[in-house]
Amino acid sequence: MKMKKYIVKYALGLLIGFGTLVSSCDLNVDPRQSIDASQALDTPDGVEAAVNSVYARLRQTTNYGRNLLALSDALADVGRTTSNSGRLIQENNNQPNAHFNSIPGSGLSFWQNSYFAINEANLILDAISTGVTGASAAQLARWEGELKFLRALYYFDLVKVYAYIPTAIYQPGVVDEGGVPMPLEGSITSDIAFTRNSPRSTIQQNYTQIVADLNDAIRLLGTSSRAGVQFASVGAAQGLLARVYLYMGQWQNAVTASTAALASNAGTVLSGQAYIDGWRASIHPESMFEVRFQIAGESIGVNESLQSSYTVLLNLSNKNAQGGWGDFVPNQTVLNFFGLAPRQIGEPATNNNNWDVTRNSDVRAHLYTTGSTVRGARNIECIKFISKAGFAYGDNVPVIRKSEMRLIRAEANYQLGNTGDALTELNAFKGLRGLPAVTLTGEAILEEILLERFKEFAFEGHRFFDLKRYGRSIDKRYLAGGSIINFDDFRILPPLPQREVDGNVNLNQNRGY
Amino acid sequence: MRKVLLLGLAFLFAAASAFAQGRVVTGKVTSGEDGLPIPGASVIVKGTTIGTATDLDGNFSLNVPQDNNVLVISFVGSVTQEVNVGNRSQINVVLQPDTRSLEEVIVTGYGTQPKREVTGAVSSVKGEAIKNLPMQSFDRALQGRAAGVQVRSANGLPGGAVNIRIRGVGSVTAGNEPLFIVDGVQLNNQGNASFTQANPLAFLNPNDIESMEILKDAASAAIYGSQAANGVVIITTKKGKQGKARFEFNAFGGETQPMKFLDVLNGPEWYAMRRDGLRNTGNTAPEANALLAMGRRPDNFATLSAAELDAIGLGLPSYDWQREVMGRGRLQNYELNVSGGDDKTTFFVSGSYDYQESSFRPVDFERGTFRTNLSHKANDRLTLETSLNLATVTQNTPFSIDGSFLGNPAFSASTVLPHNAIRNEDGSFNTAIAGVLNQNIALVNEFNSGRTTTNSIVGNTSATYKILDNLVYRGLVGVDYRLIIENRYRDPRTPDGAGVRGRATAANDWRTRFITTHTVNWNKSFNNVHNLTALAGFEFVSETREGLNAEAIGFPTFQFRYIDSGATPEFVGGFWTGYRRQGAFVNANYNYKEKYLFTATARYDGSSRFGANTQYGIFPSVRAGWNIAMEDFLKDSETVTDLKLRASWGRAGNDQIGNFAARGLYGAPTAGNYAGNAGIRPTSLANLNLGWETNETINIGLDYGFFGNRVSGSVDLFDQRTKDLLLDQPILWTNGFSSISNNVGELMNKGIEVEINTINIDRGGFQWRTAFNFTYIRNEIVRLYDGLEFLPANPGIAVGQPVGNPAFPGQNAPGSWFVAEYAGVNPATGRPMWYDINRNLTYLPIAADRVYFGSNLAPYYGGFNNTFSYKGFELTAFFTYEYGAIVSDGQYNFLRESGTRLALNGLRDVVDRQWTNPGDMTDIPRNVGNFNGGNELRSQGRNFGSAALLKADFIRLAQVQLGYTFNPATLRSLGLTRARVYAQGVNLWTYSDYPGYDPEFVGAGTGQVPIVKSYQIGVQLGF
Repeated sequence: MKMKKYIVKYALGLLIGFGTLVSSCDLNVDPRQSIDASQALDTPDGVEAAVNSVYARLRQTTNYGRNLLALSDALADVGRTTSNSGRLIQENNNQPNAHFNSIPGSGLSFWQNSYFAINEANLILDAISTGVTGASAAQLARWEGELKFLRALYYFDLVKVYAYIPTAIYQPGVVDEGGVPMPLEGSITSDIAFTRNSPRSTIQQNYTQIVADLNDAIRLLGTSSRAGVQFASVGAAQGLLARVYLYMGQWQNAVTASTAALASNAGTVLSGQAYIDGWRASIHPESMFEVRFQIAGESIGVNESLQSSYTVLLNLSNKNAQGGWGDFVPNQTVLNFFGLAPRQIGEPATNNNNWDVTRNSDVRAHLYTTGSTVRGARNIECIKFISKAGFAYGDNVPVIRKSEMRLIRAEANYQLGNTGDALTELNAFKGLRGLPAVTLTGEAILEEILLERFKEFAFEGHRFFDLKRYGRSIDKRYLAGGSIINFDDFRILPPLPQREVDGNVNLNQNRGY
Repeated sequence: MRKVLLLGLAFLFAAASAFAQGRVVTGKVTSGEDGLPIPGASVIVKGTTIGTATDLDGNFSLNVPQDNNVLVISFVGSVTQEVNVGNRSQINVVLQPDTRSLEEVIVTGYGTQPKREVTGAVSSVKGEAIKNLPMQSFDRALQGRAAGVQVRSANGLPGGAVNIRIRGVGSVTAGNEPLFIVDGVQLNNQGNASFTQANPLAFLNPNDIESMEILKDAASAAIYGSQAANGVVIITTKKGKQGKARFEFNAFGGETQPMKFLDVLNGPEWYAMRRDGLRNTGNTAPEANALLAMGRRPDNFATLSAAELDAIGLGLPSYDWQREVMGRGRLQNYELNVSGGDDKTTFFVSGSYDYQESSFRPVDFERGTFRTNLSHKANDRLTLETSLNLATVTQNTPFSIDGSFLGNPAFSASTVLPHNAIRNEDGSFNTAIAGVLNQNIALVNEFNSGRTTTNSIVGNTSATYKILDNLVYRGLVGVDYRLIIENRYRDPRTPDGAGVRGRATAANDWRTRFITTHTVNWNKSFNNVHNLTALAGFEFVSETREGLNAEAIGFPTFQFRYIDSGATPEFVGGFWTGYRRQGAFVNANYNYKEKYLFTATARYDGSSRFGANTQYGIFPSVRAGWNIAMEDFLKDSETVTDLKLRASWGRAGNDQIGNFAARGLYGAPTAGNYAGNAGIRPTSLANLNLGWETNETINIGLDYGFFGNRVSGSVDLFDQRTKDLLLDQPILWTNGFSSISNNVGELMNKGIEVEINTINIDRGGFQWRTAFNFTYIRNEIVRLYDGLEFLPANPGIAVGQPVGNPAFPGQNAPGSWFVAEYAGVNPATGRPMWYDINRNLTYLPIAADRVYFGSNLAPYYGGFNNTFSYKGFELTAFFTYEYGAIVSDGQYNFLRESGTRLALNGLRDVVDRQWTNPGDMTDIPRNVGNFNGGNELRSQGRNFGSAALLKADFIRLAQVQLGYTFNPATLRSLGLTRARVYAQGVNLWTYSDYPGYDPEFVGAGTGQVPIVKSYQIGVQLGF
């Protein structure tokens, strides 16, 4: 009996002991690939890494990875689609809803990625405003400067896409629904995340904030900035400011800012063969700011990269190698700009290396050549983005090229009535591109400047917004079944993401959606 | 199993012999089931306490007093027999198995129960029922076997993922996977689908399974607390039986074949279709442009007449790509097991080899397993047991599991333009493939390679200690360890590898799951009428997963295929994740004369996955049963053999969310790196109050048996409510996040389950038995949050509508189809039309016109089995069926476009149906070639809205088997105790009007390997 008692005691002791052991086990498991948000921005290294992520979001397909260039130009009158992969057809046809918005299942949308980036920037700005232990004054200034440049760039891209541009607002306050929501405070708690229903700011408020951020950036980056055009710099901020003033119609400010930008050490304006070579270099020498694709692992890939969107070629050394899709190619207007036509340069004709194009004296004609028959018919394609960094589908993307400053200054001077300065600047620019000077007066000067912008920035995403800021229609009659999309058409603006409108009582959808 | 228990009796009688005078009677007791000797059967002289037990060979020797002439021979699970000795001194007795089903013992949570005492909704599937099916994991074999259990193969990959849902889809965002327990070890059943599908349950040779119990209602499962909301599947493997070593050899071989080839257009037909489509849109050179789309426009086309171009197009050759890349696959399986033991130790040891090729070579599955189950009685209080399963599985991987990749043979075989030759005249691969699918998939398939190997150890060791005769402690320590290693190579001779000169990817994934369970069991009977049992326990589970992966490009030649040979590393990656769970639980059973049954359980469970404020939850349940058949008024009924009414209520939890879903975190994804510098960004928002999703179920059931159980079965009605749904509540993107996990909303699964087993004919050695089951479940969202009628970011998740079935663990349940209703084509013009919100016809439906069309979750399903036996012959025909699922099949959708958007092939049936002349009444619009992306101007695409939704109803002959068992008597001379041969076919026939490959798939359906049919012959030998 005694034995039994011992056994019971022993067993129960064991059990209770084990039970206690188990229940006293710490249930908490900490992740090893992440850290708590509350500690993330406590150190200088943490802040630096967080700033990098804001840059990195520019790389997304939804932003400079593709859409701000290829999708913009597909909406405009720059090219036609080849149907090779079926991409960009709807956008090129200006089908309702085929615009800067997310197609369900396609991942991040332009709106989402941009606001995520802005929130990250706001969180860091909030953190550094209360000080970061161990950070120098120069670091604090540089971070703030870079973040304000980035926030300005993201907001500028958002407002130019989702709202009318100050120089051409269609029926202000009637059809126009204003600018974009503009939160300036970071959201990291469920309180803000659940309750902040930001309304659309006015277009004016958006632009005022963008200008303020850029002026801050110019001031702060003047004290400290990182080397390299992949980072924000004084010159980059001045360049962006010039473009913003151009969109605002503040012509004098545009002249001032573009002049300052041209005087900065960011980028070089190139001419002749150097210009052609510039497009073959990994880092474009003209870039005042460009989005960096550092390694092959960061490439956008064969489906949606700029290279793949524009050309079927893998590289220029062998045109028979299968590359991307070549979904979007120049239309006849662009071909005519540069005198482009297919030209057989060797035998046999079946070898794609035996084909090139005819060109006129415009050096930019060298940015086009024939593709291959790997994906179907051999088209003339734009080769501005073609494995320049040494790997496929990951070309660095120039956001602001210094050449643009000259065209901005010419246009702003024209608008200020300084037609002489405008024409001089225009002709000097034409000279850089191998074109003869022109003698023009009045509105013809503006038209010639806009035409030069068209040629210079074809396949770089400017054309749609150049038409939009002058309230001009988009002539798509060159497409089968195409028509003219007038400025009063609702398709000039994209729909705001429906989920945002559904979830935010203060957010008004654009007309027609 | 039943033979294991009777050791006690042997001891009891051992001392009792040898008193009285009499004669010695010897004999042998064998089983009528398999002819094998029964050790431990009791042999008693009737009316006395004189008796003995049979030895390991089933032999007995007993002194029978002169005036007693009747022996009573009994054994658990067998019908007791009385034998008149007469003058004989040698008696051989054959005990027949007791088939009264309610005597069965059912494995329940942390114990077993006689079936007649079970008060919850529990289905049991015997290992015998799924034996020798050419299926790599037991979950696949469960299809149609039990009411309330819905099983769909994700695709036809051997050893691929299986989608199993017990009583519907109970969660939108959190997992819907049941808890699988093998011999007390709770498994990690997360797949890793990076290269191929390595079904985590494929580690177990299904033939090693003794039985599977499925706990369906929350009350039965509640003792498993936080993981039990989706039901629990308890697998018990075969154990050793006392007696001399018995060997069993089992082998089968056969082949798999595609169930269906799609009837696609040939070369000239495709040409004519495109030409006519272009003609419809007023194209001025339809012949030349059609040839251009096919890459066959001659350079001098401008000089050729339309008729001459037509002659080229209509003279194009045709090649059958489907039959080139889809073919027969071999399958084979060999296994040997040996079991036996003495009165202290029993063992079961088995080894197996299984190989199966898919219809898409070189995808295959190869597995070796080794299993040991040991039990040792150290003394009369302490029993030690261990079971260990080692398995290695190697799969040659497909190009991709699914998706519209150009190199994916499962996608391209039916969609590549048919005039493309597969090989050149010299036998080499044709690499000039015209059309959007410009890769020769036969070449891609031949040159690429990839392998996934999964090594696993699943095992446990346990000690059972009898503290008192009615108080038993049991402690178990178990481990589930997996290592998955993957290597893949994109050959530089294929288009995907050409640009980068070859790409090798390597990845591994280690998973370790540790579990320890400690229980104390107590039972007592008062006055033989009040029977009480109780159980208390603790459990702790810890799981970690980590992995590394890397990719390199730039290989010297295609012969170098391992990752280290690549010149440029593209990336390195890795991950670590883990969680812990612990709980305490109690269970009490009371019954009065086994007539009135009551059970109550409760579990207190904590999980590291939840918010700091809500880590613990409590999960109670109550059950009651009434054995009506045992009441006096039915006790002697000839008609009613068994009748039991049961009712239960319980609450179980679901913690199948991300391990760190409640935390507010910053991560360092590679997408955040910039210009060679590391980046960090917020990845999730904190929710300190994130807590359990609970499943509350009311279940009312009836178990019945009539006419001596010739008709038996059960009926269950249930109403299951998932409350505090773990829902990803959308957050405005302008606030920097997409969603946050939150406990909001309610989901209902209400239904009926019916199981009927009958013996239709049992006469003259001929027997016909059927087993039928049927399930109907109404799935519906009851409530969302803030009074919302639908989720803003996903309007398919709507109050009053069913949710869909998520394809793989970790995916959210899709919503109902919420799309504009298709109205067919305008007979005058051939343009597709839809209904707007006012039921008017429109070419351009908008968001407001959408209506609900049900979901891809079938509300009706079940199985129907027929067994005919005569002498040694046995014929089995097993059917499964599903009804009511609405699916979108990506592969069919591409084909339904008939090459209008992209230059892909189409289905002959669709093209024959398309609108051609005014007045045609049809559902397929006018073909417009590739004009405007294949769509009419200012019109939605032809697959828009409900146009391409399909009904996925089917009845399938899932298994048909004809077997012959040789007479044991004739085998004895060969040294065999048992021999059986059989021929079997799986998925031989499907009744369905489905236009795609097969209605059974999960997910998008694009480029998935379809399920196959198979034929096999096999042999089973015992010696």
